Amino acid sequence: MAEAEFFAADGLSKHFGGISAVDDLSISLARGELVGLIGPNGSGKTTTINMVAGALRPDRGIIRLRGVAMTGSPAHVFARSGVARTFQVPRLFRRMTVLENLIVPALSNAATRRPEAERRAGEVLSFLRLEHLTRSLARALSGGQQKLLELGRALMLRPSLLLLDEPFAGVHPQLLAQIMEHISSLNADGHTIIVVDHNIDAIRSLVGRTVVMAQGRKIADGLSEEVLRDPAVIRAYTGARDAR
Amino acid sequence: MTRSHAVQAVLLIVALILPMWAGPYWVHVGAIAWYYALLASSWALLAGYAGQFSFAHVAFAALGGYASALLTLHLGFPPALGVIAGVVLATIAGALIGWLVLRLSGPYLALFTLALSEIFRLMLVAEQQLTRGSLGLQVSGWFGGESDRPYYYLGLGLLVLALLLMAGLLRTRVGLFLRAIREDEGAARAAGVNTTRYKILVFVVTSGLAGLAGTYYGPFVGILTPGIVILPEMGLVIAMAVIGGIESLPGAAVGAVLVYVLSELTREYGQWRFVLLGLALILVQRFAQNGLFAVLERPLIRPAAVEAERGRG
Repeated sequence: MAEAEFFAADGLSKHFGGISAVDDLSISLARGELVGLIGPNGSGKTTTINMVAGALRPDRGIIRLRGVAMTGSPAHVFARSGVARTFQVPRLFRRMTVLENLIVPALSNAATRRPEAERRAGEVLSFLRLEHLTRSLARALSGGQQKLLELGRALMLRPSLLLLDEPFAGVHPQLLAQIMEHISSLNADGHTIIVVDHNIDAIRSLVGRTVVMAQGRKIADGLSEEVLRDPAVIRAYTGARDAR
Repeated sequence: MTRSHAVQAVLLIVALILPMWAGPYWVHVGAIAWYYALLASSWALLAGYAGQFSFAHVAFAALGGYASALLTLHLGFPPALGVIAGVVLATIAGALIGWLVLRLSGPYLALFTLALSEIFRLMLVAEQQLTRGSLGLQVSGWFGGESDRPYYYLGLGLLVLALLLMAGLLRTRVGLFLRAIREDEGAARAAGVNTTRYKILVFVVTSGLAGLAGTYYGPFVGILTPGIVILPEMGLVIAMAVIGGIESLPGAAVGAVLVYVLSELTREYGQWRFVLLGLALILVQRFAQNGLFAVLERPLIRPAAVEAERGRG
């Protein structure tokens, strides 16, 4: 199954001091898959995303993209290889305009010229319905708009693997629906996507496959409907969240 | 032509014709002001644009100045070659420091460069046989005659060239990347920017320009002492950049000239001048955070962005 090798993380581990944040985690993705990654706070989801995006170097384990080992490469190499990410709390270039935020990733490819970068930024802005804010400073945007802009910045890399860290956290229901719609349509366009979130309902309705982490380890991986009914998963959330 | 360009053109014309009226004292003051303007504007590129708060900027000026003077003195380099060698050495040192400090940011970078600068100063003091220590190294001038006008115009020319070079760099994608690094280095990396490369690049360019300032200063003043590397000198350069506008290269240059001229006008108050300087710094930070120069250009800068901010505020 060559397609299953589109993305593979094998035996990833990361320790911070004496604390094991991620322990022997393996995930592989087929091209075009849309996968949810859930787990209680402190279960290692963001550490996992940071390793998969190249922002953190794993202590052990291998990351492969299209069969090529990427482990240990700097984050910008991951980005240029098509791994794009968003952050839990948007990390925009706050004192730069919306347009500038978008053209930075496009221009990080030396072959892309500015007019081309701006044209693509225009497309992304219209996809996200943010055209009216093109020349606004990023810091002037509302929280939800910042989430969208960060998604747009990731899209400007023309990513093949998109890592979304809590895209639904703190957004109001109307925007949540809009973000879900964007994710679905990106997935339909062939993007492979990992969505990390706490919103079980959103995850259930959005993704077919869910991976669950607890205490740095993978405790479940399979069809969302089944995984979310798994007693071990419900226990992991210590009953604090009704997994119905 | 934007209002900003117009303001800059007027300032340049004033600077060009000033020696026709000003007495020799003010021509001298102007020629020194160009040294500070070169330092403040290149430091603004490093700190204001790229967010790398280095305290070693005056050390690079001293490195360029001393290197050029010593090579001329001991190896008989012609002045122009001495200048080039000084700038090249400062540039190489900048690349090394840039590479060393890559993983440092904020207060760590500031402390590291401060320590480095102090070590360099102590070396200048200690290596008496070479540098003549605190007595100072005599540097022969470039131009004969009594007038400082040649230095005034040379310094102004170097400043304008440096500003054009930096503005040219900022107009390319490099400028965009440097601002992205300043805003959020991790996010810039995630956006595909090789932040390491651009941080080294900005250190290289700004160190070279600081070195250039030093090679100009020595022959003009006639003596180089370790005193040009002391912390208050660095503080003065920072204050100049902040007062003029740390995110505007011509702004920082104007700030340098303004502060230096004001400090000359208030010379009779002795150390109290620095209290005035501190007060000016606080007032600017409170009422014109982007510096005095930004106040001049404000109406025409990114109206949409300003509007959007107003709408939100």
